[in-house]
Amino acid sequence: MASLKLKNIHKRFGSVEVLHDINLEIKEGEFVVLVGPSGCGKSTTLRLIAGLEDITEGEVIINHNVVNLLEPQHRNIAMVFQNYALYPHKNVRENIIFGLKMAKVSRDIMDARLEKVAKMLELQDFLDRKPAQLSGGQRQRVAMGRAIVRDADVFLFDEPLSNLDAKLRHQMRSEIKRIHRAVQTTTLYVTHDQVEAMTMGDRIVVMKEGVIEQQGTPMEIYLKPSNTFVATFIGSPSMNLMDAKLFPEHVEIEGQRIHFKEKIQRPDFLLPKEGLPIKLGIRPDFFLDENFASRGGSLAKINYAKIDLIEPLGFDKELDVQVGTQSLKVRLDLRTTAKEGDTINLCFDMERAHFFDIKTDKNLFIHPPIRPQA
Amino acid sequence: MLGKRTLWQNCLLALTLGVVLFFCLFPFIQILSTSLKHQFDWGNPSLIPIKLNLKAYQELLGLGKGAEVPIPETVKRLLDNPLLTKEAKEKILSRYRSTRDVFPFPRFFLNTFLLSVTAAGLSLLLAVFGAYAFSRLRFKGRSVIRRSILFVYMVGGVLLMVPLYQMSVKVGLAGTVWGSLFSLVLIYIIQTLPVSLYMLGNYFRTIPFALEEAAATDGCSRIQALFLIILPLSVPMLITVFVYCFMIAWNEFLFAFVFLKQYHDFHTLPLALQSLFVSKNAIWDRIMAASMLTLSPVILCFVFIMRNLTRGLTEGGVKE
Ligand SMILES: Nc1ncnc2c1ncn2[C@@H]1O[C@H](COP(=O)(O)OP(=O)(O)OP(=O)(O)O)[C@@H](O)[C@H]1O
Ligand SMILES: [Mg+2]
Repeated sequence: MASLKLKNIHKRFGSVEVLHDINLEIKEGEFVVLVGPSGCGKSTTLRLIAGLEDITEGEVIINHNVVNLLEPQHRNIAMVFQNYALYPHKNVRENIIFGLKMAKVSRDIMDARLEKVAKMLELQDFLDRKPAQLSGGQRQRVAMGRAIVRDADVFLFDEPLSNLDAKLRHQMRSEIKRIHRAVQTTTLYVTHDQVEAMTMGDRIVVMKEGVIEQQGTPMEIYLKPSNTFVATFIGSPSMNLMDAKLFPEHVEIEGQRIHFKEKIQRPDFLLPKEGLPIKLGIRPDFFLDENFASRGGSLAKINYAKIDLIEPLGFDKELDVQVGTQSLKVRLDLRTTAKEGDTINLCFDMERAHFFDIKTDKNLFIHPPIRPQA
Repeated sequence: MLGKRTLWQNCLLALTLGVVLFFCLFPFIQILSTSLKHQFDWGNPSLIPIKLNLKAYQELLGLGKGAEVPIPETVKRLLDNPLLTKEAKEKILSRYRSTRDVFPFPRFFLNTFLLSVTAAGLSLLLAVFGAYAFSRLRFKGRSVIRRSILFVYMVGGVLLMVPLYQMSVKVGLAGTVWGSLFSLVLIYIIQTLPVSLYMLGNYFRTIPFALEEAAATDGCSRIQALFLIILPLSVPMLITVFVYCFMIAWNEFLFAFVFLKQYHDFHTLPLALQSLFVSKNAIWDRIMAASMLTLSPVILCFVFIMRNLTRGLTEGGVKE
C-alpha cells in the first residue's frame, strides 16, 4: 500500500499539450475514480503514473519518492489495461502468475495467491485456457486477476468494464469494490461512465480536456458541482441549465419571477449586481409536481411549464417541458396525472438549485463573485 | 453468378495449372527417376525405372557394402586385351572402384549443414534485435537506416564477389580455412539479413505494443519482454526466417566456390556436386542421387514451414 501524488503534471505529445497542470493526491488505501469524456487524458494520466509515458513537466510521487525516472518495472504498480493486454500465448494461469514469477515469488506463495484470486474472480474452470478461448467478460477478469494477484503498491484500472454487458458490468462493479475492501490497495480507477464513478469511488476526480474540473466525494460532486461541465456531466439525465437573471429576492426566468430570497440573501453569498445574467441549474430529479409537494420553507416554484412529452419509466416518468422558450427535463413520480399538452407547476428545493456564472461557467456559491468596488 | 466459373474456364484453368506444374516438377522427377535407374536404363525415355537401383543412394550414404561397381562385359573384354599396359588397365579399373573416399557425401552434407545452420542462426539472432529496434524503438535516422539496408540487393553477387574476396585476402581471412569459413558466414548473413529484418520487423509490428507495456508493469525489462512475450508469439515467423536463411546458405554456390575451392575437405554440397559432375565419377545415377539428397532438406524445410505457418497466435490478447 502506498500514497500517490501528482504534482503540477504537464504532458505534451509533440507540441500538443494534453494534460495541463494536474494536481492529485490519493491517500493510502483510497479508491479514487477518474472520470471524464473520451479523449480528456485519463489513460494518459494512468500511463504517466505507470511509467509508460514520459512526464513532460511535474512530478509523480509514490510513497513520498519521486518516481519520474523509474522504469515501469521498478514502480511496483499493477495496471489493468483498457484493452486487457493479455499474453495470448500463455494460458490463464500463466497470465495471472507472470508478474509473481518476474518478482521471483516462491512456488508455495504463488500457488496460494493464484488459488485465492481464481476463486475470487471465479476463474477456476478456465485456468488452462488461452485468452482467445475466453469471452470478453472472462478476459476482463483475467486482466483483473493479473493485477490483483500481485502485491502492488498501487492499482491502476483503465476502463476495465467498458466492454461488458450491463448485467456483468453491474456484477463486476461490486466485485471490484469487494476486492478493494479486502486488499485495501490504493487505487486509481478510470472510467467515462458516470454511474460507475458515482457508485465506486471514495472520491471522484472529474477531468475535461486535460484539466481537473473538480474532485470530491460522489455526494459533493453531485450536489455541489463547481461548474456547468461537472453539473451536466455527472447525473443522468443531466442537469437543466436555464438562462435567468439574478435579483436580490428572486430569479427571473422567461419573465417569471421565482422567489429565491432565502438562498440569495445567505450571508456567504454576495450579489455583485442586480439583474446579473446567470445559468440556473436544477437536476430533473429535484422537481416536484406542485399538487404533491408539501409546502416547506425553501420551496421555489416554476409555473406554466407546458408538457411536450411524457416518457413512463416504470417507477417514475420523465417529462420534456417547455417554459417560455426554454425546454427542461423533469422527472416526477407516478402520481402526476398531467397529460402531454397540459401545463404544470413545478416545485423544487431552492437549496438544490445552482447559480452558474454565464461567462466562466463557475458555480457562484463555490467561487463567489468578486465584491464590486464601492 | 459472380465468381462462378464455367466448365470451359475450369478446363482452361486446370490445363494451365497442369502445364505450369509439369514444367516445375519435371526436372525433379527426371532427377529422381535417373537416380533410381540402372546404367542400361539411362537412355530409356520412360520415367519409371525398369529395375529399381538403390545402389547410388547406398553408396552416397555409406550404407550397404559400398561395393565396387560391377564392371560391364565390354570393359572386361577390353581389359583382357594383352596389349594394354598395366597403368592403362589400372586407369580404366579405377573408374569402377568404390567411390567412398572420392566422393564423401556425408562429409559434404555435414559441412553444408553446419555452415548453413551457423549462418542462419546468426542471421536470425541479428534480425531479431534489428527488427525489434526498427519496429519499436524511436531513434534518429531509423527509417533511413531501415530502407538503406535493402541497398545490399542493388548490386548483384557476381559484382561483389571479387572485391569481397580481395577484402578478405587483405584482412588475412582468406588465407586460412576458418578465416574463409568466417568470411563465408559473414557474407551469408549480409545477404539474408535485409529480408530477415523486413519479414520479422513487419511481424513484430503486428504484435500489440500493449503486451510489452503489460509485461513492463508486470516487472519485465525490455529484453525480458522481448524474450518472454514477443519471441514466443513470433515462433512461426522465426521459423520461416530461419529456414529462408538456411536455404540461401544451403544452395549458395558462387561465394562458396571462390572461398572454399582450395579447401577440399570443407566443400559444400553445391561445390561437391559441381566437381562430381566434371570428375571421373560422373556416373549419372550417382550424380542424380547426390542431387536428390541435396534437395531433400530444402523440400523438408518447405513442408515444415507450411505446417508451422499457423496464423492467429496473437489472437485474444487485446481488445480491438
Ligand atoms: N501517443 C500519442 N501521441 C499523440 N497524442 C496522443 C497520444 N496518446 C494520446 N494522445 C492524445 O491525448 C489525448 C488524451 O488521450 P487519452 O488516451 O488519455 O484519452 P482518454 O481520456 O483515455 O480517452 P478514452 O476515454 O477514449 O480512453 C487525446 O486527445 C489523444 O489524441
Ligand atoms: Mg483511455
